[in-house]
Amino acid sequence: MTDGEPLLRVEGLRTTFDTDAGELVAVDGVDFEVRAGETVCLVGESGSGKTVAVESITGLVDQPPGRIEGSVRFRGTELTDLPDAQLRSHRGASIAYVFQNPQDALNHCYTVGWQLIEAVRVHEDVSKSVARARAIDLLDTVGLADPAGRMDAYPHQLSGGEKQRVMIAMALVPEPDLLVADEPTTALDVTVQAGILRLLDDLQAEYGMGVLFVTHDLATVSRIADRVVVLYAGKVMERGGVFDVFERPAHPYTRKLLACLPGAGGVDAAGGAARGGIGGSLPDPTAPPDGCRFAPRCDYAVTSCSVGDQPPAVELAEGHAVSCVHYDAGDDPTVLADVSRPSAGAEPAPSEDAIDDE
Amino acid sequence: MSDPGDARLVPRIAADGGSKPAGGSERNSDAEPLLSVRGLKKHYTSSRGGFLSRETTRVRAVDGIDFDVRRGEALGLVGESGCGKSTTASSILRLTEPTAGEVVFNGGGRAGAGRNDDGTHPNDVTRFGKRELKSFRRDAQLIFQDPTSSFDPRMSVGASIAEPLSVHGMTDRRRQRVIVEDLLGRVGLSATDYDRYPHEFSGGQKQRLALARALVLDPDLLVADEPVSALDVSVQADILALIDDLRSEFGLSVLLISHDISVVRELCDRVAVMYLGEIVEAGPTSAVFENPRHPYTEALLSAVPTPDPRSRSGHIELTGTVPSPSDPPEGCRFHTRCHRVVQPEGIDLDRAVWRRLLDFRDRVVAGEVDAESVRERLRAGGDGRTSAGRGAGAESGPDRSAGTDPVRIRQAHDLPETLSDRDAERTLADAVDALLDGDDDRAAALLETGFTTPCAETAPEFTTHGPDHRAACIRHRPEFSGFEG
Repeated sequence: MTDGEPLLRVEGLRTTFDTDAGELVAVDGVDFEVRAGETVCLVGESGSGKTVAVESITGLVDQPPGRIEGSVRFRGTELTDLPDAQLRSHRGASIAYVFQNPQDALNHCYTVGWQLIEAVRVHEDVSKSVARARAIDLLDTVGLADPAGRMDAYPHQLSGGEKQRVMIAMALVPEPDLLVADEPTTALDVTVQAGILRLLDDLQAEYGMGVLFVTHDLATVSRIADRVVVLYAGKVMERGGVFDVFERPAHPYTRKLLACLPGAGGVDAAGGAARGGIGGSLPDPTAPPDGCRFAPRCDYAVTSCSVGDQPPAVELAEGHAVSCVHYDAGDDPTVLADVSRPSAGAEPAPSEDAIDDE
Repeated sequence: MSDPGDARLVPRIAADGGSKPAGGSERNSDAEPLLSVRGLKKHYTSSRGGFLSRETTRVRAVDGIDFDVRRGEALGLVGESGCGKSTTASSILRLTEPTAGEVVFNGGGRAGAGRNDDGTHPNDVTRFGKRELKSFRRDAQLIFQDPTSSFDPRMSVGASIAEPLSVHGMTDRRRQRVIVEDLLGRVGLSATDYDRYPHEFSGGQKQRLALARALVLDPDLLVADEPVSALDVSVQADILALIDDLRSEFGLSVLLISHDISVVRELCDRVAVMYLGEIVEAGPTSAVFENPRHPYTEALLSAVPTPDPRSRSGHIELTGTVPSPSDPPEGCRFHTRCHRVVQPEGIDLDRAVWRRLLDFRDRVVAGEVDAESVRERLRAGGDGRTSAGRGAGAESGPDRSAGTDPVRIRQAHDLPETLSDRDAERTLADAVDALLDGDDDRAAALLETGFTTPCAETAPEFTTHGPDHRAACIRHRPEFSGFEG
């Protein structure tokens, strides 16, 4: 890996599916990169294409009916061109996945230890006893109490959080360079979630992995992300460092997402009860609207928003880019003033600024 | 149609959902809560061993809780998975039979009743007969976490929503349709959705449908069990706002159950925090959030991620998992995980060290850490540590591999090499040596007698911390006040 080359670089990723209703565009020209030792969060609502995007990276999407276009370079190697056999050597070895539901990912018929030892021996040619020692050590690394004792436990004897820790231990077996975590805490209690997020943070510091974290919850993002990519209907709406996105959100969609959070302090100063939702729903992925994908639900929408393709990303500051017609390169995120405190049923009236910008 | 309550049912829904009949019986109801739960218990017994075994365990899912839901109020019941909050809901509605306790429901025209001569209450749900139960279930409705599995996929949503009407004797199809179409509008859907099927709706829309079905009988009480946990954050906000609107529109009381204390904060007037079958703190939402008086509440609040990337550190981490409700800890049930667990007289250690010391003690006593596992860990630690990751060497420095066996045992349990308290240090050193000598029992005995906490000896009683705000933690008792903070 040459210096400056990110661990993972995704360019123009477009994943489509052939369906009876026509071509369904799940991911539509997404770019992002993950460097070693950093956590990048893909965030968006259900149906925004975030899961399909990460599954496309290592070809976990069945083709056909799926179709993956664009470029996915992992440490300089183009993954989309690789034959299956070689792709498999990346999957699970240098790129490991942790999924949302640990229940479905563990085999109920075998002990946790058996499954971990198997994983170790798939990747390394070692004796059973060495593999066992390594498995115990991994369980210890992921913070499971009594790792030696837990080796003999069956999955049903563990709690949801413990199972997710086992899954993370399994993902760590090959010492991956990139850990892809797809909603790993969504099925868990908040208290357990806090523990898992801290574990991921610690592991990253210890192993120097890149982490690609997928979630719908911006509050989770604020706890672990270095950089954030906001997806909507298969398109990137905004990207930037975690402080940029949370403290100076530019895109109306990002602002709406932030306002959805319980007790959203900075954005929705009134907090508490004034938490607003996002009216409307995601566009039909078989017939995406012209122009900005978010325009039909956007309070700032003007006529030019619904023309042509998604507006090009403009860079507001170093590493902070937004795809919105209201911005020119170098603009301050406050150029687009907050229309009003988002509240349910409020008139979606475009602000003066929005019209002036035209 | 023969049900006498039917006359009440229809005009209330079809006319204006907000108007309740101003019957004389409701006049003096201001002081009287809608729902009053006292000493509610639900224990499950299960046999252990073979199926011929007579040995049983008693799982204390809900173990004596008291709370009230007042008229028009939203009460939040929060706690982690397994704390008994859902069991509480189903016991109140008698979906499972409670083991003991009293659930007095004063809604649906039952207000103002006094106690019987034998001390029982005529409105006690746990004593309702079949007829009373059926009419109670019209007045108290439930919605679940997963809206998908709560609708029949082969029934149009309109028919599903109208079904409770048929069950309670309102079988006129045309009137049913009028009522349901009106309700669909009120929950933010459209009347034309009547003939569509569940799979055509998104998760959030299905939860709206579930609300419509719960409200079709115009209940007094809505029990919502994790109503937004399965939904996206953006949809959660909508549904919570809708529940809040419907609450004032229909004059509902809401019992909201959630593991996410931030959801409760948005909707509820009062909160009750549950841990392992007991309520540990209860009070007005603002008081509990601004001034939590039980360490568990503090930890729950701290676990909620805030959308502020600058406040990442300083969260309280709960160690360990919720103990089994079949064998709850003595004294305060939270003491095995509490970050503020009290130190006995004569020991003065850092709070975090004291917590980890107790964790170590518990593991040794439980046999999770014994001589054999210690040796296995030391063997694994010898080479396993370095193979664990590339960063391990850089992170731990040279002392990890150079450490003596006792030091490495301490490191494995995050204990300092020497404790600042001299007596405690001697006890710990002896116990570690005993472990290395293979004498598990002696190690366990040393730790068990050396390190005790008043929290394990005294069951805490509620102390009052403001109007209507109570918490059960012994640190608030005068004799322990010195240990606070």
